[in-house]
Amino acid sequence: MAEKLEPAKVLYCGVCSLPAEYCEFGPDFGRCKPWLVENAPDLYPDLLKEANEKAADNVSDKLQSLGISSGGADGAPSSSQSGGTSKKEEVKRLPGGKLKKKDRQEVIIEKVVRNKRKSITIVKGLELFGIKLSDASKKLGKKFATGASVVKGPTEKEQIDVQGDIIYDIVEFITDTWPDVPERSIFFIEDGKKVQAG
Amino acid sequence: MFKKFSLEEVSSQNQVKTSVQRRIRQSIQDEYPGLETVMEDLLPKKSPLIVVKCPNHLTLVVVNNVPLFFCIRDGPYMPTLRLLHQYPNIMKRFQVDRGAIKFVFSGANIMCPGLTSPGGVLDEEVDAERPVAIYAEGKQHALAIGFTKMSAKDIKSINKGIGVDNMHYLNDGLWKMERLD
Repeated sequence: MAEKLEPAKVLYCGVCSLPAEYCEFGPDFGRCKPWLVENAPDLYPDLLKEANEKAADNVSDKLQSLGISSGGADGAPSSSQSGGTSKKEEVKRLPGGKLKKKDRQEVIIEKVVRNKRKSITIVKGLELFGIKLSDASKKLGKKFATGASVVKGPTEKEQIDVQGDIIYDIVEFITDTWPDVPERSIFFIEDGKKVQAG
Repeated sequence: MFKKFSLEEVSSQNQVKTSVQRRIRQSIQDEYPGLETVMEDLLPKKSPLIVVKCPNHLTLVVVNNVPLFFCIRDGPYMPTLRLLHQYPNIMKRFQVDRGAIKFVFSGANIMCPGLTSPGGVLDEEVDAERPVAIYAEGKQHALAIGFTKMSAKDIKSINKGIGVDNMHYLNDGLWKMERLD
């Protein structure tokens, strides 16, 4: 073992991040196919054949449409195009069977118990409404006469920690001070579940 | 076990003391002697080593924001699949037949029949409760990392039930977490 081990290079699929040979078992083989044909043609010989056939089909289609197009030049191509885009959107929605959640504008309020009878109220998501967190923490601290600070949360997102349990009227305070924040987009977290405030 | 795993699961991450770092290095090296020559590249003595703690007694060893090893309670350290793909010879190998691949991909544990069938290969020397790499019939790379429930001989003779616990498999939460910031 005197020689140094060289790290082996593995070809990972650019679409689903699996090693290319496992794409067929991945969540979305259909979308990987074009990438595979281009980058790992020897792994899936069947695919290449299929792709070639498709290409041939496309060409013949185009030829056909060209032949017809002398009559209805505008109608045929535009309709085929719209069909194409809708298909693409469908594909986008499907990967992994789950839709990636967009960051919705909402304020999440959570109470964390610190020392049995002391607690901290965590306010997340105020920045999504264009509110400056440092200002907000100052205001919160002033209103409730406690310490309030901007803290980096677990996912690099900033949140405001307010000392003490202020859940009872934080909602009112938020809606009063920042009219941009509607009451229905404020949520509490109770027992790990999201509950709408109010 | 990493089926659902994301940054939100992280409960604490600490840069550890050099003494702890040394201990981790030592135990990884004992577990995978094949890594000895590249230890310095993987876990440089000088650069900070971060230990990330997650629920269910899970710890990750992270260097330069890349998760490299994980362990459960004080069990053995196991490499992540990305690392194993780079150094495929460090672990004992098991191979499952083709039919099992799709179940492993959804997180199923490795059942004995999948290992003993014609498509499977067992490394006879493996005892119970050891980390193993799971390969698949006709594929070059590992698709999961497992923890044997019984020894290879038992798997062969009993041939029923769970043979290897599936710890970490392709496209699970840890796989998707290429970098941890």
